[in-house]
Amino acid sequence: MSGQQINSSFDALVVGGGIAGGETALNLANNGFKVLLIEKELSIGGKMILLSKVFPTLDCAACITTPKVSEISRHPDITIFTSSEVNKITKTGLNSFEAVVVKKPRYVVVEDCTGCQLCEQACPVNVKDQYQFDLVGRKAAFIPFSIASPKAAAIDIENCVLCGACEKACPTNCIDFTQETEEYLVKIKTVVLATGFKLFDPLMIPRYGFGLYKNVITSMQMERELAPTRPFNTVLRPGDGKVPDKIAYVLCTGSRDASVGNPICSQICCMYSIKQAQLLMGTLPMADVTIYYINIRSFGKGFEEFYQQAKGMGVNFVKGKIGKITEKENGNLMLRYEDINEGIVKEAEHDMVILSVGVLPNQDAAKLFKAEELKLDAYKFISQADTLESPSKTSIDGVFVAGTASGPMDIPDSILSAGAASSEAISYLIRNK
Amino acid sequence: MKKKIGVYICHCGGNISDYVDVEKVRQAVEDEGGVLLAKTTMFACSDSNQKDMVDDIKNNDLDGIVVASCSPKLHLTTFRNVSERAGLNKYNYVHANIREQASWAHSDDKVGATEKAIQLVKAAIAKDRFAESLEPNVITAQKAVAVIGGGIAGMKAAQALSDMDCPVYIIEREQFVGGRVAQWGALFTTEETGKDLVARLYKDLISRTNVIIFTGAEVITNVGSIGDFKLKVKISPKDEIIEINVGSVLMATGFDSYSPKDGEFGYHQIDNVVTLPEFKQMVDQGDKQLMFKGKQVKNIAYIYCVGSRQEEGENTYCSRYCCTSTIHTAILARKKFAGIYNFHFTRGVRTYGKQEVLYAESSQLGDIYLQSNEETPPIITQAGNKTIIKVNDILTEGREIEVEADLVVLVTGMVPREDNSVGTLFKLPKGRDKFFNEIHMKLRPVETVIDGVTICGTCQGPKNIMETVNSALSAATKSFSYVSKGILETEPIVALVDSGLCEWCNLCSEACPFDAISMGSEGSKSIAVINNSVCKGCGMCTPVCPTDAIDLITYSNNEIESMIDALANG
Repeated sequence: MSGQQINSSFDALVVGGGIAGGETALNLANNGFKVLLIEKELSIGGKMILLSKVFPTLDCAACITTPKVSEISRHPDITIFTSSEVNKITKTGLNSFEAVVVKKPRYVVVEDCTGCQLCEQACPVNVKDQYQFDLVGRKAAFIPFSIASPKAAAIDIENCVLCGACEKACPTNCIDFTQETEEYLVKIKTVVLATGFKLFDPLMIPRYGFGLYKNVITSMQMERELAPTRPFNTVLRPGDGKVPDKIAYVLCTGSRDASVGNPICSQICCMYSIKQAQLLMGTLPMADVTIYYINIRSFGKGFEEFYQQAKGMGVNFVKGKIGKITEKENGNLMLRYEDINEGIVKEAEHDMVILSVGVLPNQDAAKLFKAEELKLDAYKFISQADTLESPSKTSIDGVFVAGTASGPMDIPDSILSAGAASSEAISYLIRNK
Repeated sequence: MKKKIGVYICHCGGNISDYVDVEKVRQAVEDEGGVLLAKTTMFACSDSNQKDMVDDIKNNDLDGIVVASCSPKLHLTTFRNVSERAGLNKYNYVHANIREQASWAHSDDKVGATEKAIQLVKAAIAKDRFAESLEPNVITAQKAVAVIGGGIAGMKAAQALSDMDCPVYIIEREQFVGGRVAQWGALFTTEETGKDLVARLYKDLISRTNVIIFTGAEVITNVGSIGDFKLKVKISPKDEIIEINVGSVLMATGFDSYSPKDGEFGYHQIDNVVTLPEFKQMVDQGDKQLMFKGKQVKNIAYIYCVGSRQEEGENTYCSRYCCTSTIHTAILARKKFAGIYNFHFTRGVRTYGKQEVLYAESSQLGDIYLQSNEETPPIITQAGNKTIIKVNDILTEGREIEVEADLVVLVTGMVPREDNSVGTLFKLPKGRDKFFNEIHMKLRPVETVIDGVTICGTCQGPKNIMETVNSALSAATKSFSYVSKGILETEPIVALVDSGLCEWCNLCSEACPFDAISMGSEGSKSIAVINNSVCKGCGMCTPVCPTDAIDLITYSNNEIESMIDALANG
């Protein structure tokens, strides 16, 4: 750590550069406020930028995210720190906070990188690609993904063997192994927490065989297989590369399940599974897709119609919770479940299983505040101080919450929540001028 | 005529290039007259490609650009901004939609899709040769917003606008503000009553000097457009007319509760059948015992999805709030009154998100849940003084189950306002569900195609209170952004009248859907005059003109004819 301290001040600190944080930053900046946006990943855009298409309109997610991301990254009143985290926020008075921001070294001078990918070709190290949810590999010198912002290389120092091949290959000499962690102390007037959510880890439910059976994947992995920037350029099962023709979705994996500590409904899994099923029917017209569910929750604008459309396309809906999954020698999977309509326990064979994993709280934000207490709700999401009247207010005056940091929600609701958080933050800034 | 046009053909990451051979399109257009360079790109909208375009424009001194990608609805602004950043007037950029109009429309015919894409791009190039630099029209914006509807959405929006130092008028049709929420008792999740919540907001609003509340008030006329709406408001009981002038209008007109048809699940035919709003009032007002028509109520049957998720009928949508609202009220009833047994006849419970715990609580308290299919809804019959609900319950292998109920609650959903006069006044578009429609659910969720008019709350579709407030605050921020600077830039793409040719026959004015054309004069001659801030550039007036006196800027006869030539010659 360099211990370097650059004192600078902003009107607002937005923690998290996903769709909610980005929308909040834009709203604030468009109203003339100076914003510091902190993102811990190498690119802004959050989870949405990695999705395929989005329900219920089937817009391509990249097509909606990229222009927003590019508007955010170019806005003169928004300063973005990627691969950075906020370590501590202290309230120093009314309308006044201090935050310690730690920027981790990327080992690449972003301004000089042209995104030519020559370093990627030169790098001898292969590791799993976290932005493709481990479906394929990447190099230790790599560009996170094709529509990343900034679109610049980064060195994964934990896996780097320090061979120097990337430095030699780089035509602009932008790779710099001397970069160190930088610490900044910034002054701000208001804080918006848009720290998003975590996906349920299906290893917590061993009876579903995730991690053990290769053809059991998560919905986020299927999202990547269906995305425009998909790794295989088709849908296939990871076990043997076969194109699947009998696909099963297991809804409520890690949701509505007190046994894994998450009693609430994740609000998005029914709809994204129905969306993926529709996309699969388009990509693999001969495939059968079955969705095993407890209740279908298609509650939003156009959602019920989208569900009915999936039924019309031939997606098979079976009311029943999957008890156990076992693998056959050919890599196919046997799903044991109670068919609620018939009241009997059944088994069904599928050649690929997608676990529709739920939404869990990202508890990082709770640790940010030392002197004040940022209250969490019973499920460890950021607690809303006045849920009905001012949904984005938190337990700390001047600190607001946007998007899934306060609970599960879909993209339209996250954007409206960001709209509300920006409105509250603007009011706060004007009121305490 | 342009000589240095840059053409960009987008793969859209496969959305286009899976069906359209983008390289073939590029080759087909690179030698077109005026084209200096033609490139393909994976995502034209991506940050890195935008940078490349800016460099191209600067380095080659391009005088026009054509982007062939998705619908201009998505990215018109994106590429206009690219032009501006490169120092090229944004009206020198022309868009070709080869995704919705070629690759997606003809995914079964790759050769045909490619040929069509080539023609579309050639037509765009032909148009771009005539493109001229234009400056936006600058209009003044009144720094004030009219909020129509004084329910929870309107009140919250007004509060936010007032906080932003923006004067607000709330126009409420009823004699009191507070809307539906004011009629409700304890609310999930806070258990605060609707009355208290509204009272809290009302107290805050009346303490503000920049919020004016009109009750018993209705907007009767609307003249003008973004930046300058002139509204006439009629206020009862004296039918006094007040004129207000605002830069933006925020719609928060709410919903109607679905009103069951006579005989629908026994409504108006069997005595003890009520709707959810009626039941909520009974629970709120009842004391010790729940009474209905002089009889104590013990067994309550709730019939879900009445007027929502209709198999036959208009309301195909889910009303979103009713599952949670019913379960919450049922729990209140059993806690408040002795001897209550709740039977829920559902079509699958939708207590999404954290509301799930309410469903779990209700099950633990002993509420009985039954579920039927769409095809076999519960049947309600009256036998003597008994009301029987019969259902084939799919949760118990389709067994026929009968419940004798003292009270049947029809869980009625939200429907759009029957009286749409205010929507008509502002020409607001509606969606398939007949609620007001936003431009884009994710990109522009509170804006409408009528510039300067925002929508929020349940007039846009079913929502619970928290979701309503989120949308209200979003709409307030958007409305504020229209008026905050005092001036607004509007599109210069408007109709242009050649006064020499115009003989004022009134045909254009009749054709105009936005009332933008009126009769004016030049010397002694009557001519058509265009109101530039109202004109949307739709072009309805140009073909009806018998003397060819009206042209639409950027869509002149030269431009259109050259596009048709390009399309026809392939």
